[in-house]
This record gives sequence, structure tokens and C-alpha cells, in this order.
Amino acid sequence: MQQVMETTNTPVQENEDLLVVRDLKQYFPIKAGLMQRVVGNVKAVDGVTFTIKRGNTLGLVGESGCGKTTIGKTILRLNQKTSGDVIFDGVDIFGINHQQLRDLRPRMQIIFQDPYSSLSPRMPVSEIIGEAVREHNIVPENEFEDYLDDIMRSCGLQPYHKDRYPHEFSGGQRQRICIARALALNPDFVVCDEPVSALDVSIQAQIINLLKDLQKSHGMAYLFISHDLSVVEHISDEVGVMYLGDLVEHASKKTLFQNPLHPYTQALLSAAPIPDPSRKRNRIILEGSIPSPANPPKGCKFHTRCREVMEICKTVVPLEREYEPGHMVKCHLYNDRKALNEETTEAV
Amino acid sequence: MTDNDKITEKQDAVAPAPEVETEEMALDDARRLKVLSPGMLVFKRFIRNRLAVIGLGILVVMFIFAFLGPFFSPYKQTQVFKGIGSMSKEYASATYNTELRYNVADGEAFGPGDRAQFLLAIGKNQSTFTSGANTFSISKESESTYRLLRLEPVAEELLGRVNPVNGATLSDALIEMYKKAKDNNQTSFVVDGVTYYLVPKLKATQISTAKDIALASLVVFDAYKPADTANVNSFAFKLGSIMAIIQDKKTFDVNGQVYKLVEEGGLSTIYNSAGEAYAEVSDIIVNPVDQANFLPVDFKRIIRETINNRQDRFTFKDETGTDVNYTIVRVNTIYNIKRDTPIELIRMYERPSLEHPLGLDNNGMDLMTRLMYGGRVSLLVGFVVIFLEVVIGVIVGGISGYFGGWVDTALMRFVDLFNSIPFYPMVLIFGSVMDALQVEPMVRIFLLMAVLGILGWTGVARVVRGQILSLREQDFLVATEATGIRTSRRIFRHLVPNVMPLLIVQATAGLGGVIISEATLGFLGLGVKYPLASWGSIINVASDAYVMTNYWFMWIPAGLLILLTVLGFNFVGDGLRDAFDPKMKR
Repeated sequence: MQQVMETTNTPVQENEDLLVVRDLKQYFPIKAGLMQRVVGNVKAVDGVTFTIKRGNTLGLVGESGCGKTTIGKTILRLNQKTSGDVIFDGVDIFGINHQQLRDLRPRMQIIFQDPYSSLSPRMPVSEIIGEAVREHNIVPENEFEDYLDDIMRSCGLQPYHKDRYPHEFSGGQRQRICIARALALNPDFVVCDEPVSALDVSIQAQIINLLKDLQKSHGMAYLFISHDLSVVEHISDEVGVMYLGDLVEHASKKTLFQNPLHPYTQALLSAAPIPDPSRKRNRIILEGSIPSPANPPKGCKFHTRCREVMEICKTVVPLEREYEPGHMVKCHLYNDRKALNEETTEAV
Repeated sequence: MTDNDKITEKQDAVAPAPEVETEEMALDDARRLKVLSPGMLVFKRFIRNRLAVIGLGILVVMFIFAFLGPFFSPYKQTQVFKGIGSMSKEYASATYNTELRYNVADGEAFGPGDRAQFLLAIGKNQSTFTSGANTFSISKESESTYRLLRLEPVAEELLGRVNPVNGATLSDALIEMYKKAKDNNQTSFVVDGVTYYLVPKLKATQISTAKDIALASLVVFDAYKPADTANVNSFAFKLGSIMAIIQDKKTFDVNGQVYKLVEEGGLSTIYNSAGEAYAEVSDIIVNPVDQANFLPVDFKRIIRETINNRQDRFTFKDETGTDVNYTIVRVNTIYNIKRDTPIELIRMYERPSLEHPLGLDNNGMDLMTRLMYGGRVSLLVGFVVIFLEVVIGVIVGGISGYFGGWVDTALMRFVDLFNSIPFYPMVLIFGSVMDALQVEPMVRIFLLMAVLGILGWTGVARVVRGQILSLREQDFLVATEATGIRTSRRIFRHLVPNVMPLLIVQATAGLGGVIISEATLGFLGLGVKYPLASWGSIINVASDAYVMTNYWFMWIPAGLLILLTVLGFNFVGDGLRDAFDPKMKR
């Protein structure tokens, strides 16, 4: 695998890979009975590997419940991983103690999906944004107010909003407050966990553009989690497609949208609405619903709904293969066509 | 000119307005919204809830009443009010005399045997009777008086021959008169001022002189001066006075003394020659109930007058000159004279008055004052118990919710255990144990608080645990972790403020319940004990049906206070819940 790098606990300065996630697994035990015995696991994230470069955006798409949000939280060590590695700027996130983790916190932030529940209802905006700034001494105390004003302005908020409470804001403004809270810590990496899915479309555009502008000015890397392909297409440099805890396809935005390989990706892309009523679409309708992550199908997890299902899919778990440079896919369709890689690419 | 000026002024004044307005209309302008903290918002919502404000008003009044009231009350909590009351006590008894009293002349004898024969003779309506060697003649002077004469034979007539007896000499006049009397069937005749009696004896007839030896009378004599008692009860005096009364004489004389007789209202008063009241003659006997008491004659007289006038009360001055009321109660033939004795009485169940706006209770204590002090206890018990419940509940619920896992499971099973303790049996047992150990009332209150608190914290624990469990999953708490906020700040700045509203609501609503519990225990007599008061224990008197129906002021005020306070707490609790609920956009 190309992205694999040397893991060290000392930060590597001139490495363009900011975040390396390797074979990350996150299982949630299912407990039952009087003694709360573990009777099974919900395999929310089941062996995911990807890399995010500095200043880049990885878009993560997939159906609801496929483990996107779990990945986002686990790589910030908001969940305890089951196995695998998360290396942030050369530091193993799960290998450091709490103090080190706290010191690292400002560098990686998260923006939540629901702007209503992600702000403490009993705090004024200035405290919500500034709390962690003070906590980590991001700026000297005498510059604090000015710094806050700057951050708020850059996120489209007005300094006079400071004394207001979250309930006085609309959803879009709240999301700006969330962004400001994350941005105030001057992070290198932000997990955007469906930051616009709770907002209406016009506000979505504002927020997405704000995120893009901030990325440009601050040089942050994003893990942009969404189920909205158009949003992902707009903001991402690379896109990963997840299905039931697996990253089934992973490529640069352009490659993936032009040449989706995995049948699931193809289905997803075909389902995305196109703002052109004259264009005829060839929609691939997926049958059934996503299987339970507690009891995923054997073999390829997608085989129950795949229209190109083969016998091998039902028994053998497909390996991740590099279909073309930077284009990873997990599907048996491409097991024997490795030799044809060049031809296919040219044909497309 | 002026008009133009005005117009321009107006325009000047108006011109900037649209700008300001457009600015005002901007969605997130600094001046558009008044900045309100969540606390202020809650307060505003609460104030708009009329019921909650009424409840708050009730509570404020209750608090002033209970905590400030006692400072203005002129009375103390345990001050017993006593009054001078009168108690009727049997003092004397009076009855019409039905037993003949005998007075025997000096030097004579009229013994029990003679008396028996006399009574027999009266029964047979005989005018003479023989007892032993003596023959007596009965002279019925009035319905109530008999005069007894001993006959001394002077002669005996047999077959027309009159022979002297005992050596007496017989005059011819006597024999003449005897014959006349015999022929006329008379029983007596008078010769030379001496009365002779004819007593048939077998075939003979005895002729006898008679001598007064005794008086049998129902009449009772009372001397005004104890020194005169002997004279008054002497045979001669009695005979003289009785004969005077019977014969309606105004005066009579005994042993050379002249006495005056005045009859008035069935009573006869005898005055001596000096004009002083000397004795009282009556057919009513008056005796003191306590033999140590001496009844003066004028007291007896007033009793007799009252009885004769068929009245049942009279007033008589006692030794110190104060009027004392007496009542006469007739039982069959006996009249009981009751003296109203002044005694210090506890003013129990006194009706409301200006002095005591809610009257006095069964211990003669001012009910208003006791309600104030009782309110202190009731409210204090409520607050301390709720405080205990909240402290225990927050600690257990907080630990349970924050740590989760097996700690949560274990603590919640512990809560279940506590919940399955039957509340009232437990508290009743506790109350009787306290009774048995005779715990001080003040200590008892604190123990009561502790028990109520220990039995009641589970609700709070559950609510707190639930709230913390749900808060833990909220994104803003995850965000505090993501931004690396330290644990203490996360708990006290994020978790606690968000649990607080629920706690306040829970505690306020629970207060009413605790006050009810305390009142119930007080009513059952297991709560706060005399001499301390609580609203519940004040109502306790209503367990007596007589008190409940007759002395409404004993229990209705306390009941109303409990009702209003609990209602107030419930209104405020509801109001707070609504005010804290962000969905209530009012």
C-alpha cells in the first residue's frame, strides 16, 4: 500500500501526510443478559485505511449507519478504538497519555452534524468559542478579545454576538459558531461530521464556502463526512465511499466521480440528483436496506444488494486493490482484471 | 416661514429614520434583540405564567407568615392562656324535714320506747297511748307539730262512782264537769283553768291532769347566734314559739322574755326584745356538704326563701363580702346547693376573638401563633428534607450517570432496593420507636427530616442519572472533550448547569409532597410532637369528631395553609418546568 509510512512517535516535519489511518477497527460490544455478557459486536468500522494530506480534504460518503461518524470520532480518540492505528502528524493518537492528548487536542477539531445539540445552551457565544482558547492559552490574555472578534468575523459572525446565547441563533449561525469554536484553536485538521446536513440548501452553500475559504486561508485538512455526494464533490480533494464499516472505494474526487468502480459507488452516484431535468438518468436502485453491522453478511458485505453479485462474493472477503494509482477498490469484480487496468482507464 | 421650518425640521428628523430602520430590520443586528441569558429567559417565561406567579405569591405570603410572623406575634408558641372560670361545687343540701324532732321538757323523759308507741298511735289516729306505766295524750297542734302530754290520773270512774286516785281530792265541780263531758263524749274538760282528760280504761274511765313533757315537730330552729342555740332548742322556747306560730300570735313570752314573731314567705323569724333577729323557724333542713363548713343562719334563710319561691339561683355574700352565685338543683326531695367557685381554667377551644384571631387550641395556646411556628417547622422540614434528597440524589445519580457501566447498574439496583421500602409502615415504625425512646421534640424533628430524606432521595437520583446519561451523549459535551476542556470544568460548567433546571423543578415539585408527608405524620401523631407545632399536628385535633364538628377554627386554618402551600409549590414547580422547557416559546 502506497500510503503507508514509517510510524514514529516523534512528529515528522516535512511529511505531507497529516493523518494516517491504518486498518482501523471500531467494534461496539453488544451486551445482554443479567451478567452483561458480550454476545456480539457492532462492527461500526471494520478495517479502514486511508491517508489525509496537509491542507487536503477527504470526503467520506456512505449510507446512514455505515460508520462514517464513528470514524470521525475514533480518529479524534473520542471513542476507544478496537484495533488499528491512527497517526496524526506522526503521533500515534492512541499511544499517548491524557496530558499529551490534551495538548494535541487543539490541533484536531470536530464540527458536528447537529448545530442545536453541539452548543451548550447555558453559555454565551464568547464562552463557547473562547473556552478552549483560554484553556490551551492559544493567545495571550490581553489579545483574547481581539482574537475572538477576528475568529468570529472570519466565520461570518459579528463581534456583538458574543454575549448572546445559542438559542438566539438560527441553524446556519449556530454552525458558524461551531466552526468558530473549532477554528479558534487554530487546528491542522478538522473532522466535519455532516456539518451541513441539518441546514437548508442556501445555508449549506454558505457554510461549505466558508469551510473552503477557511481552508484556503488557514491551510487545514478536512475529513468531510457526508451522505450528500454533491457537497462532497464540491469540497473534497479525495473521496472515500463507505459501506457497512468498510471503505469500499477510495480515489481522488475526479477519478471517483468519472469512473466509479465499485457497484455500490455506481449506485450511489446514479442516485444523486442532477439539476438538469432534460438529462436522462440511468438510476441503479438498490434493493433492500443496509444489513445490520452487528451481523454483516459473509464474504463481500455488499453482496446481498449487489446487482453484479458472483458466487465468490458470498464467501470470500474482497481485498483492497489498487485499480489505478490512487484508486483503491474492494470488489471481486476487479480481481482478475488487474492486467486490464491500463486499457480500462484509457477506455473510460 | 415657520411652516417651512417645521417641514424641513420634520424632514430632517425623518430622513435618517429609514436608514436606522433598515439597520434595525437586519436579521442579526446588535440592537435588534435584547440580549437575554437563558436564566433571564426562564425568568421571563416564568413571570408570564400566571398560575406560577400566583403560586409564588402564595409561597411568599406563607414564608412571611411562618418566618416573620412569629416576630410580630405578641404570644409565644407554648404560651397557655388561662382564665378565671367558675366551677359549681356542691356546698350544701336542703330538704323538707320529714322526721319528727323531739324536744323534752326539763326533768322529763321521752325515750325511744315512748317515741315508738307515739308513732304507732299517730298511725292509728289515737289521741292517747300507753307506754310503760305512763299514759300519754297526743295533742295535734298543726300538721307538723304534736304536743305530748303525760296524763296523771286524779280519779277513776267505775259504774258512775268517781273515786280519787293517789290521794287526790276531788271537788264537786270537777265531778260535775266530768259527768257533763262524759255524757257529751268529750275527751277533756276544764275546771279552774286545769284541763282534765278522760281516758277509758277497761270498763272504767280515768280522769287525769296532763303535763307537757315533749314536743314532736317537723319544724327546725336555727339560732342566729351560736350562743343562743341552747335556748332556742329548749323545750320551753320551742313550745312557746310553735304555739305562737300556730295561733298566729305576733308575740310570745318564754321565761319572762318577750319575743316578736314575723312571718314572711313561709318562714318565721323570731326577734328578741332588743329587736335583733334571734332565731329562724322553718321546715327545711339545711346541712353543709362538708361538715367543716359552718352555715350562717341568714345563708340558710336565703336558701329556704329561694326554695319556697321555687327559684333555682341566688347570690350570697361570702365572708370577704364578694357576691357568690349559688344554684339549687333539686334531686327528688333533696335540694343540692351548688356554689360557683372561681378557679383558674385553661381557655380551651376558645372561639376566635380580636385578641386571638383564630382562637385558642385544646391546650389553650394561641392558634394563630402556633400556625406561624408550625409553618416554620413544616416549611423547614420540607426544605431540609428536599435538600437532603437532592444532595444524596445528585451524588448517587451523578456517579451513576457519569460513570455508567457496572457502577450505574449497581447503584440503580440500590435505588430499586430503596424504592421497595414501604414508606408509611417504615415511618410509622420509626414514629413509635421515637415514642418509646421518648426522644426530645426538637431532636425528633431532625430525626424525622433525616428519615424522610433517606426514604425519598431515589426519585432525584433517577432523574439526575437520566439527565446526565442523556447529556453525556450530547454533542456539546463531546465537543468539550474534543477541545480538551479539563474534567472539572466539564462537570461544573457544562454538566451541572444543564442538570440544574431539572433539579430545581424536581425539588420544587417534591417540596409539596414532603410537606404532605410531614403533615400526614403529624396528623397520625408520629411527626412533630407537643409542645412544638407543625401544621399536621395542629390538624391532629380534628381526629376527635366532636372537635371537628364543633371547633372548625381548630383545623380548617391549618388545613388551608397546607393546601395553599402545597398548591403554591406545585404551581411554582409546574411554572418552573414550563419555563425551563426551551420548547415553551411564550
